[in-house]
Amino acid sequence: MAIEGDKDAPVHFDRHAPGYIHEFESTTHELHGKCPIAWSDTYGGHWVASGYKEVFEIARNRTLLSNHHDLEDETSPYRGISIPRPDSGQKTRGGFLEMDPPEQQDYRRILDPYLSPAAVARWKPMAEDLTRAALDARIEEGSIDFVDDLANIVPAVLTLALMGLPLTDWEIYCEPAHAGVYTPPDSPDIVRVGQLGMAMGMRMTESIMALRAHPRPGMVDALIQGRVCGQPLSDADIRDTLMLLIGGGFDTTTALTAHSLEWLSEHPGERDRLRNDLGGLLDSATEEFLRFYTPAPGDGRTVAADYELSGRQLQEGDRLWLSWAMANRDPSVFPDPDAVCLDRGANRHTSFGLGLHRCIGSNVARATFKTMVTGVLQRMPDYVCDPAGSVHYDTIGVINGMKHLPATFTPGPRLGAGFDETLAWWQERIDEQQMAAPVTRASAGTRQQ
Amino acid sequence: MRVHVDETKCQGHTLCAMAAPDIFELSDFDGHAQAVAGDVPPHLEDAVKAAASTCPEQAIVITG
Ligand code: SF4
Repeated sequence: MAIEGDKDAPVHFDRHAPGYIHEFESTTHELHGKCPIAWSDTYGGHWVASGYKEVFEIARNRTLLSNHHDLEDETSPYRGISIPRPDSGQKTRGGFLEMDPPEQQDYRRILDPYLSPAAVARWKPMAEDLTRAALDARIEEGSIDFVDDLANIVPAVLTLALMGLPLTDWEIYCEPAHAGVYTPPDSPDIVRVGQLGMAMGMRMTESIMALRAHPRPGMVDALIQGRVCGQPLSDADIRDTLMLLIGGGFDTTTALTAHSLEWLSEHPGERDRLRNDLGGLLDSATEEFLRFYTPAPGDGRTVAADYELSGRQLQEGDRLWLSWAMANRDPSVFPDPDAVCLDRGANRHTSFGLGLHRCIGSNVARATFKTMVTGVLQRMPDYVCDPAGSVHYDTIGVINGMKHLPATFTPGPRLGAGFDETLAWWQERIDEQQMAAPVTRASAGTRQQ
Repeated sequence: MRVHVDETKCQGHTLCAMAAPDIFELSDFDGHAQAVAGDVPPHLEDAVKAAASTCPEQAIVITG
């Protein structure tokens, strides 16, 4: 007899379907109950791992799953992390997220000293000041769009700063980085979004060339100087890496911040509780919002060895979807999984992935999120979001994001310089003090050898 | 109670240092954790258990 969720009795799991966002919870618990690892007939057929135990067991197994994206061989099943495969027609891969060790580990070693907790802590004053300036721009009006006026801006500027790119370029990167994720291929807007993406790619190439000629510290410089498997990187390799860092750094943090602010507006009692105890609750609340909203809901992989998992036979060459979002709702690990508990303990959520490919920007994401939420709670404590104006992504297959989140609040006074002036001030500090240099042994104290 | 971090499993999620900052120290380069003291003082035992229960990689090993 066929077992449900096996290859001869597949389920139909389509996370790009328009209704999926509304059926997410029921779909999740149905899969958990019937087949926490299931073969789905969608997108050419692929496994869907939704149970926490199943995701945990395989995601960390270095020989079982491959991230490799084979650009040489059209017939290869090794197709990287996107399901379905993007039909851009271009031969590009998603940076080191579509690589296996040892290549992937070389990239991580190059970039880690810019993104470690110690490296990120150095940027806290700037993130706070950018948040201050973004809120200043709206504070006298008594109205704000938390996506357009705050959550799109701070992560974008900070990511460019870490890379060593000019801060004022953030607008060139911002719109395509978000619209490129949420615009479906059949949208009338796709041409405009494509053009913005081209402009972004061109600016990136110009910046790489400029930094090759006149080096300045930052992640771009690290990629120019670095060696992967003993070889220097081409401009195209560097561009793929920067696209990955921008894709990872912009839209995800925006998505998390917007959803959290929306939830807090809908639960004013919890919002006041958080505001009155930021020291005690902000860390756990951040992890809980990460778990509940899982900004990057999953990643594709290719099965690289035959393996039996919970009674199903994975075969080499099978495609597989690791659903961080569904694993995060597994009641065997998270009691009352569909509720947000700001003080949840033992919250070993998978929102930054598990294993070797743990989100390299997790420390930046947490710090930026906490800075923005703290700024809003302190300066606009009575804000109310307008449900009629809030816009969620139509499809949450790639990022569980929001396009707009308007809100009103009791107006207050500005606290400092305007946004452009603030950017210029920080650009000067960055250049003078080489702020985007990596953490080095000399600056890192004595304990790490 | 004794504690150590299995370095073959730790991926630098940093949650342990949030739960028990006096026990877990993070590398400045990649955020991977080390237990600064193998022996856990009694008043930090609960924090260390909380750290172990929150580590997504289940890399924290408590003995004794
Ligand atoms: S929480 Fe776990 S994975 Fe993260 S740094 Fe600590 S020991 Fe490592």
